[in-house]
Amino acid sequence: MTPITNLLTFFALVVTLVLVWRQSWRGRVRLFVVQSLLLGALAAAVGVLAHRPALMLVAVVFVLVKTWLIPGVLRRMAAGTPPRPVRPGRSAGIPLLVAGALVVLAYVVMLPVSGLGGSALPTRGAMPLAFAMALIGLFVCVTGRDALGQVTGFLVFENAIFALGVVATYGLPGLVEAGVFLEVLVVVLLMEGVVVQMRREHDSLELDRLQELRG
Amino acid sequence: MSTPVLLATPLAAAALLALVPGGRLGVLIHTLAAAGTLACGASVAVGVVRGDTVTALDGLLRVDALSAWMIAVIVVVAGLAAAEAPRYAREGSPRVFYPLFHLMVFTMLLAVCTDDVGVMWVGVEGTTLASVFLVNFERTRASLEAAYKYLLICSVGIAIAFAGTVLVYYAEALRQHGVVEHTALQGLRWSALLALAPALSPRVLQLAFVFLVVGYGTKAGLAPMHTWLPDAHSEAPAPVSALMSGVLLSIGAYAILRFKPIVDAAAGPGFAGRVLITLGVLSLAVAATFLWNPGNYKRMLAYSSVEHIGLVGLGLGFGGALGISGALLHVANHGLAKSVVFLLAGRIRAAYGTVELAGVSGLLRALPMTGRGFLLAVLALLGLPPFGLFTSEVMIFAAGFRTGHVAATAVGLVLLVVAFGGLLRAAHGMLFGPPPGTGAPSTGWFGALPMAAALLALVLTGIAWPPGLDAALELATRAVLP
Repeated sequence: MTPITNLLTFFALVVTLVLVWRQSWRGRVRLFVVQSLLLGALAAAVGVLAHRPALMLVAVVFVLVKTWLIPGVLRRMAAGTPPRPVRPGRSAGIPLLVAGALVVLAYVVMLPVSGLGGSALPTRGAMPLAFAMALIGLFVCVTGRDALGQVTGFLVFENAIFALGVVATYGLPGLVEAGVFLEVLVVVLLMEGVVVQMRREHDSLELDRLQELRG
Repeated sequence: MSTPVLLATPLAAAALLALVPGGRLGVLIHTLAAAGTLACGASVAVGVVRGDTVTALDGLLRVDALSAWMIAVIVVVAGLAAAEAPRYAREGSPRVFYPLFHLMVFTMLLAVCTDDVGVMWVGVEGTTLASVFLVNFERTRASLEAAYKYLLICSVGIAIAFAGTVLVYYAEALRQHGVVEHTALQGLRWSALLALAPALSPRVLQLAFVFLVVGYGTKAGLAPMHTWLPDAHSEAPAPVSALMSGVLLSIGAYAILRFKPIVDAAAGPGFAGRVLITLGVLSLAVAATFLWNPGNYKRMLAYSSVEHIGLVGLGLGFGGALGISGALLHVANHGLAKSVVFLLAGRIRAAYGTVELAGVSGLLRALPMTGRGFLLAVLALLGLPPFGLFTSEVMIFAAGFRTGHVAATAVGLVLLVVAFGGLLRAAHGMLFGPPPGTGAPSTGWFGALPMAAALLALVLTGIAWPPGLDAALELATRAVLP
């Protein structure tokens, strides 16, 4: 099981890094779909190899929500946004460098924890990778210059925590997973409502325009 | 009356209110639902304190004395807010306002009634989702910005708390066999976790606690994760502000309190306490700084909430029976005082037409009843006797000295005095001075009754504890003490 889970998580991390580099929102949504597919495959693989039928079901729902429902909402949200919201001349060099540093940080934090108690957990090698994805997602979210960028970062972060749950515990109880999917979906739908109003009021999604509240 | 009924009442009301058109029928259902929730909550809480912990739905719901304490605070604050709600629902769409209001009450009750740490997370996250539209109820640019920040920051925060919850599951999975392979997790019960805590890995739990504090601390409004709070609390309609400031923040603190004894048992007592004391002092510092320069009185009250949640954090961090019961009593007192003061701020805004401090003066003469209530509630928030906040603050700081955190306690006291001065100065400007020329509409005494009752209750928790309060507080504290 170890090679498969490590490989799938590693690919998902690579996709996340490419997402940091990509500037157009279309490309980012596509990369988010790819990441979700990989993580869905990860959950299914763990489900099969560890004989957890419930986890396989979770994987199916995950793929459905993350590659079909949520990207649909994201595209509706972005409709009419120029594909490159970022002004030209801004390179992705520094963000990529930060993302690389975050991968190192993830290993520093997670290695002592994932190897505990002579843990024979076959998936433990993937824990730092999943955690690195989470940190990068958080970074994308915090540094996003418009609402779309921030939502994408949040979704990447959320995906990574799902992956962490899969590799660290072989899937959380179904009730909790169901609650999580529902909540993510509602967050994105609420965000769509907010974004629609934001575009009507400000004619843009750039967060520089949000300056009513200070102090 | 059982716990499922308590949860079903606001949920059913929310569904029903989404179906019926607004108008009188809506107000009637809203009133009945609020009264029903209050009655069920009181009955469950009293039953638990008199008798014993109750469980339902195969142990998924478990109400111990600590849950009962929180239920009491939730239903009382929700009742106060519900009494004022119809004035505000009329301004916009009642079919949006009432269902979301009751949904929010439901999610808060779910978060404190469940024994499963995963379901608790779902409940806390649900409170955010239910209240986003309420924050943006007035649909202005400012409220839109507040709703956006609120949704994004709290969703990210709560996702961080989820990462912490995952790590707790991991710790439990590790304990079982060193490998996860052989056991399928069937939910993670808090009561089971507490019993197993000494066997859990200290390193994993320390890491988990950092995530949990950052995550639930975001919901609680602890600095430096408080940045969404002043916006959301100042832009929401008054009853929603009252609910959010009065009790929603405390639910974040409640979640942290649930995990603290587990981390203490696994990783030694010092760690969690130090984290909470640091954040508590930081919150006091942020609030004290802002309170000297507020431009808007609703923001001022929101920052006062940061101050009080910082005090709760200090109490939980100092720990011991005195610290925890002080923090719990402070949660209840602050819930009463802050909801009253936000509801009155809503009336002030309706009369003066502004939320700017500069635009409000002569409140005591212009609106005698609202003004006096506001004066009393602000005095309570300042922590002056005979109000209950004085008692709980004394308990928290006494716990600090007693547990040997002298430096943190001293700094906390200084910051408290600074915040006191700032809030007093601003409130003085509002209450005295020349009243506005226009005659403000006078409000009937009937509508002021719930708030007067809340202020009276605050005096009682300050000078003469009603029978049973002592026992309830002690039982609630014992639920999270080893």
